[in-house]
Amino acid sequence: MIEYASMILPYVTTILLFSSIYAVFALGLNLEWGFTGLINFGHAAFFAIGAYTTVMLNISGYPLILSVAAGVVMAGFFGFLLGIPTLRLREDYLAIVTIGFSEVLRYILLNEEWLTRGPFGIHGFDRPLQDVISYQYYNIFLLMLFVVLLTIVYFSLEKLVHSPWGRVLKSIREDESVPSALGKNVFSYKLQSLAIGSAIAGLAGAMLAFYLQYIDPGTFKPIETFHAWIIVILGGTASNRGTIVGAIILWTFFSVTKFINPYLPFMSHQMGAFRMIVIGLLLMLLMMYRPEGIFGKKEELALSD
Amino acid sequence: MQLIINGLVIGSIIAVTAIGLSMIYKTLHFVNFAHGDIVTFAAYIALFASTSPGIHLTSAFLVAVLATILLGVFMEKAVWLPMRRKNASRTTLIIISIGFALVLRNAIIFIWGGGTRSYDIPVRRGLDLFGATITPNQVLVIVAAIILMFFLHYILSKTMIGKAMRALSDNIDLARISGIDVDRMILWTWVIGLGLAAAGGVLYGLVTAIRPGMGWFLLLPMFAAIILGGIGNPYGTMVGGMIIGLSQELSTAFLPTEYKFAVSFVVMTVVLLIKPEGLFGGTR
Repeated sequence: MIEYASMILPYVTTILLFSSIYAVFALGLNLEWGFTGLINFGHAAFFAIGAYTTVMLNISGYPLILSVAAGVVMAGFFGFLLGIPTLRLREDYLAIVTIGFSEVLRYILLNEEWLTRGPFGIHGFDRPLQDVISYQYYNIFLLMLFVVLLTIVYFSLEKLVHSPWGRVLKSIREDESVPSALGKNVFSYKLQSLAIGSAIAGLAGAMLAFYLQYIDPGTFKPIETFHAWIIVILGGTASNRGTIVGAIILWTFFSVTKFINPYLPFMSHQMGAFRMIVIGLLLMLLMMYRPEGIFGKKEELALSD
Repeated sequence: MQLIINGLVIGSIIAVTAIGLSMIYKTLHFVNFAHGDIVTFAAYIALFASTSPGIHLTSAFLVAVLATILLGVFMEKAVWLPMRRKNASRTTLIIISIGFALVLRNAIIFIWGGGTRSYDIPVRRGLDLFGATITPNQVLVIVAAIILMFFLHYILSKTMIGKAMRALSDNIDLARISGIDVDRMILWTWVIGLGLAAAGGVLYGLVTAIRPGMGWFLLLPMFAAIILGGIGNPYGTMVGGMIIGLSQELSTAFLPTEYKFAVSFVVMTVVLLIKPEGLFGGTR
């Protein structure tokens, strides 16, 4: 029994570590899409900006906590910049520009080797309290740290979305002519939502870097964006609690498919494709038949014109 | 000179494929993010058909166009029409289309693998043109694109279907009360738009490697072309496609080739900042 537990424990820890990182990542998107109705198809870019800024500053000698803060601010700043040309126009433009941005950013990370070491990636940066905690227990410590971070992000967001500010966001999502008739600057609210959501993705990026101990441009493929989307929509758009549950479901699904792979008649490249087919189909079917997600409230959402 | 030729070739492909994206955008008011992967789908169907014994690439081309149109009609009947009936919002449709894009691309990887392929056609020597070379395939792409443009122009301006389609994209409600069968015309919009996308996809396969991501990487230039030319304006899209194709290739004279795609991104962002309705007018 004890032996069995010692086998299963690292496995569960890994699932929970990834779940907590992606829960934070997806909470950022939930603020943008769930509460404000913004379509950000380049969320992975802010994930990358957070991670790269943190580790690049850290290896040039800045203390860890300062580097993480800079990563968060940087990701938020880029969200703000992308919002300027797009958020005054129809909602589709943000989708197009953010998806373009995440592709272009990946080319920059790959090609500007003087800055990012290109395809070789970066490793050898510090991890929080790495000298104090022994290697054996480090992942457990990291998990506790991530759960604390997730809790802070969760409660701050809950507080924000239930404030007058959050109510304006929801009214923008439903029909932006109403808040704008009441004299609210819709553009500025959308910009704030996008910047804060991106900053949260930046924090998740730093968390991912701490766990992986190595990052390269391949870590932040555009597909990561759609992992966040499926988490938000699965858990229930505009439900922060649902988003956390969605993250756990997704990573459990990933580990289960990895586990049963030997029993399926697929080759390894087929397994990856198969997972993405499932995610794509789920995205389509949920949006068609259950746009409020598994845990979302229908009355919370009025996604029709 | 070589860069101009390459730019014209890529520009023709962007123009041909982007027209469908622009027509759907204008008529149904949503951005079809699966459009790029539909282009890939067509290239793979042609590849698959042309490897069967006794089938020439020309017939494979027709098979690919037909299969793509069938896929489009199926999606319209199974997804888009029911969603319109439910009054689904634009954002819902966009997310469904990106889901469909993921399914399509990964189904291609699942069936044909992730590697690069090419059509089994003899490599012919290029012709010399003012010190630059142009391959017979490149000539074929440009000629085919010009024929397709004239064909589209004829349909839009001379046939009843084309006129009804244009009425639809201007004002769907007005078209409905003037007695146009709106659902049937939307179906025609898909048929023509995806037919062009499929043709563009097979042509693209003639001048580049066939790989699962080929259409996805064409999506950004296509968006740039339709935003530049004005959304829903087919003639603007043709010009926009040419401008994007040329500027992408010409940028390689002073930028690393990897940044070709960044050019479309920059052009698009600048147009959105200063003239969001595009150069030749369209919806904003």
